[in-house]
Amino acid sequence: MLDPIGLSVLQGALAGVAEEMGAVLIRASYSSNIKERRDCSAALFDASGRLIAQAEHIPVHLGAMPESVAAVMVRQAEAGDVFILNDPYRGGTHLPDITLVSPVGLSDGRILGYAVTRAHHSDVGGMTPGSMPSGSRELYQEGIVIPPVRIMERGRQVDDVLELILANVRTPEIRAGDLRAQMAANQVGVTRLMELAGRYGTEGLPSAIDDVLDYAETGARRVIADLPDGSYRAIEYMEGDGVVDEDIPIVVRVVVDGDKLTVDFDGSASAVAGNVNCPLAVTRSACYFALRVLMSSDVPRNSGAYRPLTVKAPEGSIVNARRPSAVVAGNVETSQRIADAVLLALGEATELPAQGQGTMNNLVIGGPGWTYYETIGGGQGASAHAPGESGVHVGMSNTLNTPIEALELEMPLRVESQQLRYGSGGAGRMRGGDGIERTVRVLEAARLSLLSDRRSHAPQGEDGGDPGSPGRNLVNGRPVPAKVDMELNQGDMVTVLTPGGGGYGTA
Amino acid sequence: MGVDVGGTFTDLVAISSERVVTAKVPSTPGRASGVMQAFAASGLSPDEISAFAHGTTVATNALLERRGARAALVTTEGFRDLIEIGRQNRASLYDLTVQRPPPLVPRQLRFVVNERCGPHGVVTPLDPQSLLECVEEVSAAGPESVAVCLLFGYLYPEHEKYVAEALRKALPRTRVVCSHQVLPEFREYERFSTTVAEAYLGPPLSGYLNELAGQAEAGGISAPLVMQSSGGVMPIEAAGTRAAACVLSGPAGGVVGAARVAAESGYSDVLSFDMGGTSTDVAAIVGGQARTTTEGVIGGIPIKLPMVDVHTIGAGGGSILWSDGGALRVGPHSAGAVPGPACYGRGGTEPAVTDCNLLLGYLQDEAVFGGEISLDAERSEEALENLGSTLGLSAEQTAVGGALVAEAEMARALRVISVERGLDPRGFALLAFGGAGPLHACALAEELGMTVVLVPRACGVLSALGLALGDLRRDVVAPFLQDADTVDSAAMQSAFDGLQGRVGDYLQEPRFRREADLRYAGQSYELTVECDDVAGTVERFHAAHRSRYGYAVSERPVEFVNLRLTATEPVQIALPSEPPAESSGGSVRRIYVDGDWRQVEVTGIGNLDPGAVRTGPALIELGESTCLVRSGWSAKLDDIGTLVLTRQRPDA
Repeated sequence: MLDPIGLSVLQGALAGVAEEMGAVLIRASYSSNIKERRDCSAALFDASGRLIAQAEHIPVHLGAMPESVAAVMVRQAEAGDVFILNDPYRGGTHLPDITLVSPVGLSDGRILGYAVTRAHHSDVGGMTPGSMPSGSRELYQEGIVIPPVRIMERGRQVDDVLELILANVRTPEIRAGDLRAQMAANQVGVTRLMELAGRYGTEGLPSAIDDVLDYAETGARRVIADLPDGSYRAIEYMEGDGVVDEDIPIVVRVVVDGDKLTVDFDGSASAVAGNVNCPLAVTRSACYFALRVLMSSDVPRNSGAYRPLTVKAPEGSIVNARRPSAVVAGNVETSQRIADAVLLALGEATELPAQGQGTMNNLVIGGPGWTYYETIGGGQGASAHAPGESGVHVGMSNTLNTPIEALELEMPLRVESQQLRYGSGGAGRMRGGDGIERTVRVLEAARLSLLSDRRSHAPQGEDGGDPGSPGRNLVNGRPVPAKVDMELNQGDMVTVLTPGGGGYGTA
Repeated sequence: MGVDVGGTFTDLVAISSERVVTAKVPSTPGRASGVMQAFAASGLSPDEISAFAHGTTVATNALLERRGARAALVTTEGFRDLIEIGRQNRASLYDLTVQRPPPLVPRQLRFVVNERCGPHGVVTPLDPQSLLECVEEVSAAGPESVAVCLLFGYLYPEHEKYVAEALRKALPRTRVVCSHQVLPEFREYERFSTTVAEAYLGPPLSGYLNELAGQAEAGGISAPLVMQSSGGVMPIEAAGTRAAACVLSGPAGGVVGAARVAAESGYSDVLSFDMGGTSTDVAAIVGGQARTTTEGVIGGIPIKLPMVDVHTIGAGGGSILWSDGGALRVGPHSAGAVPGPACYGRGGTEPAVTDCNLLLGYLQDEAVFGGEISLDAERSEEALENLGSTLGLSAEQTAVGGALVAEAEMARALRVISVERGLDPRGFALLAFGGAGPLHACALAEELGMTVVLVPRACGVLSALGLALGDLRRDVVAPFLQDADTVDSAAMQSAFDGLQGRVGDYLQEPRFRREADLRYAGQSYELTVECDDVAGTVERFHAAHRSRYGYAVSERPVEFVNLRLTATEPVQIALPSEPPAESSGGSVRRIYVDGDWRQVEVTGIGNLDPGAVRTGPALIELGESTCLVRSGWSAKLDDIGTLVLTRQRPDA
């Protein structure tokens, strides 16, 4: 049993390893989506597949990798192997998120744990450049599906697998570079976990890790126990699925029972024809996010913290879809709405801020040999003590924007404006944050995919505060739907007006 | 002479071939008079001072506390909020109420002109009518300074020049700075942010430096040289227009001092470790040079100018120990100077790291700190006992644990600047300074597999020493976007010639270092490497990439992004050699080491002869600080007064 000193030291050491892996991944990657926008995360797992430390740069990766490790554990993983996967129904989330899992093995064949990185690759093939089509109806249209397979076997790269993957993407050289960065980061994790085993002993380390997980669990239970027992309900809507423009309900019932929390999605819509469906891993991440918002940052980010939480999601529903439902927008848009719904329900039990923009405003423009992928910040919801921030990512994302001077050098695009939508935040005693107006002109014919939400259902205010202004999408000044795929002519302008956050309290 | 104005004390060090004079007086923040008080306290006479260098926290504090000038911004129409949106990331992932630090220029002081340049030149010519209106609006707002930041201004500066000229004509007394001058590099947010920082910090820093120059002149001392964040000094006139380059003026002196002192003892690869009361600064020195970065963010504001790559963590001697219910934690809350650690007897009841060190015997009970505070071990014990009882630990266990947890934090900081930068700490010496550094150095060295620890005699005033020893320096940069395969050597030469022309006249016989930022095509992070011929530069880039990221791709095309020129002019001062011991006396004290209480020898550094060896466990007292020589280490005083600790039985 670790004493209070040992707990602090080991927990810090594990978090430090995950952070170092994340730092290597960001610095060594090729594509701006990982390097500049940090759409990636790194984690360590123990031999039984439990998350022991994570450095997530965006919340949608929070706790979403146990499925990846579980999918690899059944494949007789050995030291020196590296597995690659993106199949949402076998350990992944949506196809652009490629996960690499490296078993950490001892010389006697025993597995000590796993080093894992996940990164959003802005091209995995499929029907549109950027691999974020708004009109996909089944998984196979969204890109190459990679089940858990070895890309490295006992220390040797499996070129056949890599070549097969690269033959299915539009920008193979950049993909190869990013995958190499992921492998480098995984290697750092493997080395550091072995070092820790050297220090704690191969028997001592797993037992010490048990203590760290228990310690996180205690912290999480304390937070939940402080909430009044009860059953809290909320309904939220997705605005269409890219195929039909109809509201899709997400129904949640949150039950607080002592130090246990159950989130039940019974009553939510069935999986839809379009691509806003979520594999269960994404739904879990959104629930973890909501729980994380309640906790102080002192509770370590490991699986112990999530033990008190049970997620019930009806199979075949939009929050627990089955193959071959299309899922690409589930990760980036529906995850936001799930988090909104869970927090809305929890808001009955405790004081929480008003809703933020609730969308990532995924903008993808591509042509021959180039792809531009951007998500755009908006207004944060106000809280009892502070106004909402303007022009930031809220909820499940926190990716950086691409510098205008970098993207115009590399792509036939011109950014015409990037400014705040003054007054789009909801009024209140504390104002919601303002959304952003971003206008991009294409300098040659290109294809547009827009995946956005909160275009009709505004982010709600709290405690009497006004809602924020919903977002709008325009092409050459004319409105287009929340989710749209279309061809652009040379000179066309795409304008995305992102939602403002809700206000708090009556003004 | 170097004078470092810190948060608590102002330190002075003067060096001649025969002796080193030091002085320490309480700081008077933001006031130039503190410098002259330190000079008076030193007992030096003005005619003994041939050169005077100064490290200041004026720019740093103005930035951190948002007390800079009322600055305005003029930017491209459509991009008025660019400095507020920044990179659009929020400050905390899960605490939804945390605010980002506010921009340095509020909305109502941000103005636009109708113009646009792109990567290939002018897209929309500067509209004279909009310029006229903009100048009127700026005049009406009456700012102290204006930053002119236009998109692609780093490549096509004509519009910025035109706007600046119009502003200067209308507002002759207002300082106008342009992004193409402050930082001619691509990536608009970071360039704008650095330029705005220049406009924001210029007036307060110039005001302070002019006051200081006036007082120095009245006292018969030459005008000071000012330490830049990069670790080199510049004349006061240059500093007035390069305020953003001074935001790390204070810590830079410490790193330069560390590099120089270590070099005198024969060590050129060093991790410097400065543990103060509220924070700890660590930095890497490679080949005798402090590593610099251009990715610094101070007070939430990116400042993309070369600065010593100092990593700061909020753990120091004043960091408070606490329990989160299951684990013993240290910091980030600090007891500060008031109320201070429990042992200060100033009303602090929570135990701090200093209380741990006192209880374990590393500090002397009833020792006097900073001339006024007397340490009280009983209060430490009481505070540690109270906390320990909530965790099932004795006061002694809590103290040992507090030191361990704090050291784990500091070891992580040292890993960030070594391992994460591709440097293996085992090949480095650890140079410890600051009040508490020498106490924890051996433990950290063991943790990182290092076998040499250096503790300079001047460890309490190392920053001031670094100032006295800092080179004159100027850094200039120019964009140079070219493929390495087809790079035009003549164009490169003329770009470097152009940079040389911008160095300025304060360096008489400068040494030049040419560097270039390179990346693989498609990457958007660059690595800076020495730049001579193209092939050699590309080769070094591959090697640097391998060392930093673990791989290189020799077949992949490489791009040049920026050219950098660093001009330095070294000061030629040798540190005087160590005087013989005053006496050989010592005492013994009971301290907690190796899991038990033991009697160990305590020696004042003044009582050690050069060459004398002490074997651990032992304590060596150095004025403001104490060095703990742990078991397995031996300490030897070298010729310039630095304790060189070596590990006798390093782990395999």
